[in-house]
Amino acid sequence: MENEFSRVVDALPGLVWTALPDGRIDFLNQRWCEYTGLSVKEALVVDEAYGRGWQRAIYPEDLPELLERWRSIRASGQQGEMEARLRRFDGEYRWFLFRACPSADASGKVVKWCGMSIDVEDRRRAEEALRAREGRFRLIVDGLPALVTLRTPTGDLEFANRRYLEYFGATLEQLKGWAWGDNFHPDDGAGVLAAWRRSVETGLPCDIECRRRRADGVYRWFHMRGFPLRDTEGRIVLWYLLHTDIDDRKRVDALLVGEKRLLEMVAGGQSMSGILEALCHFVESTASGCYCSVVLVDPSGTHLEYGAAPSLPASFITSIIGRPVNVDSGPCAMASYLNEQVIAADLKSETRWAAYEWCPMALAHGLQACWSTPISSAVGKVLGAFALYYDKPRTPTSLEQSLIEQFTHIASIAVERVQSDAALKRSEVFLAEAQHLSSIGSFSWHVATDEITWSEQLYRIFEFDQGVRMTHELIDSRVHPEDALMCREVIERALGDGSDVEFEHRLQMPDHSVKYLHVVAHGTRDQEGRLEYIGAIQDVTERRRAEEALGQIRSELAHVARVTSLGALTASIAHEVNQPLSGIITNASTCLRMLAADPPNVDGARETARRTIRDGNRASDVITRLRALFGKKSATTESVDLNEAAREVITLLRSELQRSRVILRADLADHLPPVSGDRVQLQQVILNLLLNASDAMSGVDDRPRQLVIRTERDEGDRVLLTVQDAGVGFETQDVERLFEAFYTTKSGGMGIGLSVSRSIIESHHGRLWAAPNDGPGATFSFSIPRRPEGVRGAHSLGAIWKSAVTDAQQVMRNP
Amino acid sequence: MVIRSLVSVVDDDESVRESLPDLLRELGFAVQAFASAEEFLASDCVGQTRCLILDIAMPGMSGPDLQRELTLRRQEIPIVFITAHGDETVRPRLLEQGAVECLFKPFSDTALRDALNAALRVS
Repeated sequence: MENEFSRVVDALPGLVWTALPDGRIDFLNQRWCEYTGLSVKEALVVDEAYGRGWQRAIYPEDLPELLERWRSIRASGQQGEMEARLRRFDGEYRWFLFRACPSADASGKVVKWCGMSIDVEDRRRAEEALRAREGRFRLIVDGLPALVTLRTPTGDLEFANRRYLEYFGATLEQLKGWAWGDNFHPDDGAGVLAAWRRSVETGLPCDIECRRRRADGVYRWFHMRGFPLRDTEGRIVLWYLLHTDIDDRKRVDALLVGEKRLLEMVAGGQSMSGILEALCHFVESTASGCYCSVVLVDPSGTHLEYGAAPSLPASFITSIIGRPVNVDSGPCAMASYLNEQVIAADLKSETRWAAYEWCPMALAHGLQACWSTPISSAVGKVLGAFALYYDKPRTPTSLEQSLIEQFTHIASIAVERVQSDAALKRSEVFLAEAQHLSSIGSFSWHVATDEITWSEQLYRIFEFDQGVRMTHELIDSRVHPEDALMCREVIERALGDGSDVEFEHRLQMPDHSVKYLHVVAHGTRDQEGRLEYIGAIQDVTERRRAEEALGQIRSELAHVARVTSLGALTASIAHEVNQPLSGIITNASTCLRMLAADPPNVDGARETARRTIRDGNRASDVITRLRALFGKKSATTESVDLNEAAREVITLLRSELQRSRVILRADLADHLPPVSGDRVQLQQVILNLLLNASDAMSGVDDRPRQLVIRTERDEGDRVLLTVQDAGVGFETQDVERLFEAFYTTKSGGMGIGLSVSRSIIESHHGRLWAAPNDGPGATFSFSIPRRPEGVRGAHSLGAIWKSAVTDAQQVMRNP
Repeated sequence: MVIRSLVSVVDDDESVRESLPDLLRELGFAVQAFASAEEFLASDCVGQTRCLILDIAMPGMSGPDLQRELTLRRQEIPIVFITAHGDETVRPRLLEQGAVECLFKPFSDTALRDALNAALRVS
């Protein structure tokens, strides 16, 4: 039986053993011995100790625990299991499960233990691999920068990562005991619960933002997302819940929203106090527990002005404003003065600003900390100070510092913008006023879009209602019909190359009055190369009228001057007239006598009669010339040969000069180009200069009374006429006074000649000047432009217009 | 044949030189006309001239200049000044200096004849 049992047991495909109640192994089957490579004897006996030989096949480190476990199984008298590594015959250790079952006799006493050793190496390896995986998972999950929980399909908490536990300051078990909503912000709990329930019911992911209370009681914003984990059949086995801290982002978002709102207020032109108050409210809501104020530096830069302080007591802020900007009068004054941040973390221990008793005043209002930061413009000018007050001692955190920086920046934008807006408005008002005063309007014309912008003054000049949309048709309706074509040509030519424009034209107003405009415009191109004209239009009507009046006065004066010189010329005129009269009378007498002779000398009489007629004509010519020179006549513009004009004057003056014993030399250039002007006025000037020269030599007896009149071409297409005398000359310092009206060196003269002469020459775009000679006497010269060729060509618009005006005036005077 | 007295006319004005000699011839004088004092002095008429009709204002030597020159040459020719300048103040001065008459242009033929007669009486 025994052998039979042994054979059976040895044949079993497992490692089988039996043990005595005291734990000694008394039997090991053949497979056990084969597996371990031990003989039966070796397996049973070791060091003379029976039943312990098997221990030599156990991994030494596993043995103590195995024996302990074996003892406790035996003590329990119950079936038990233990594990240890067993050495195979080839020396490799593999994990085995040792399972032992007690065998009792009839009295219930254990008489034998039957055991099996089962190779569990593969299972152990799988288990270890799983454990390692789990460890890695936990490491990863704990290391995630997020709060992670795993929840059952019904939503119960199953796992929370380390960060989650740390955030709430609780263990997983404690968390499991919390009710839903315990650590949510009161405003968010209901919403999150509803969303979470919906996800659990529908199996759809959950995605919501909410605030959760940290262990220290601070709420932070989280982005909470829940994803279901499904098995192969699609059943939800787990919910992952991922919480991402978005508090910083939320804060930035809120700041951006606030910033945007404030900047919109700035851009919208809201009042500075409104903007600054909104800023204070916003700061107070963002950095809770603080009171906020903004003070401004007044325009003189010496005192503080009220900016905003919506939450501070009025008595507090009124005691700050008006304080001088210095280091002593308080933190805001100091910050403004130094352009540095001033931190007073605890006003109770603060020693600054004692001179102005600032701290006691603030403490009396319940404030214990003040952080004041200067508000600077973009160019670094201090505009004011931004202050935060707390009712407890406090030092700003780096976060608060960055907030302060941001708000100070917004405040500077607001203040600077409002101030520059005000300055802009002021300068706009000034500009409008200046435009009004100077009758200058400005405009811009975007050629591509035909968008025309007019200043207020331009509307006034054109007498259109303010703000009427400007079109070319509307403008054309005011342009004087005679100037319309010219205006169009000027504009078309300018558009061709985008060149600058300057021209004058007239407007005909609805009441038929005429306005004279001077237009100047500058062409610019934008980045896309589109042409825009920006320009100014001046109403020069008054100036034109003044010029006309001046012209009239000038011609009156010229007449006065002419009459004056007429007096001086009386003798000369008498001579010029008496000479032919004398001839006439002599000839007529002779004629009578010849006819009275016997026989009458008819041929002689005929000849003398012929001479009578000639002399009569000569007298008539003299009178005509005198009338031309001394008659009152308005200015005309014609081509004048200065040589010819000078010769005529010389003829008229010849006898006068002879009488004054003046030797006149006329040195007139050949081929002198004609000038454009009023012949009589120019002759008047020449006459004046010659008479002056003659007068200047009236007292000269020690040298010839030499007078030279010279014409020549001058530089720059001009013609020069000089009159040189050998008279008394003048002192250099008097040279300009010579041309003053009523200045005279002559006892008998009116002194109006030279000033009128100069105004005549200037009206011919010329210049009249005097210079002392190297020797005795002086030289007077004038230089005027030669007559431009093709003066009616398109080059000189001003000239066209002026000549048109002159023509018109002529027509008006001589209809 | 009556020997006519020679009257010389010195005047820069051509029409005078044309018209006056004709009238003088009608009045029965022999006449020589000169355009300037210098021309007269250079001529051979100075010694024969019984009366000089002399313009006051002329280029170069004036009438009074010629008068002084003739005085210096001791050529005492009666002089009748003629002038187109109606300046009455010159007349007494000229008469003081020995002129027979000073006629203001235009003058009548009778005024001329009277002056000539006076001059010839002097001579």
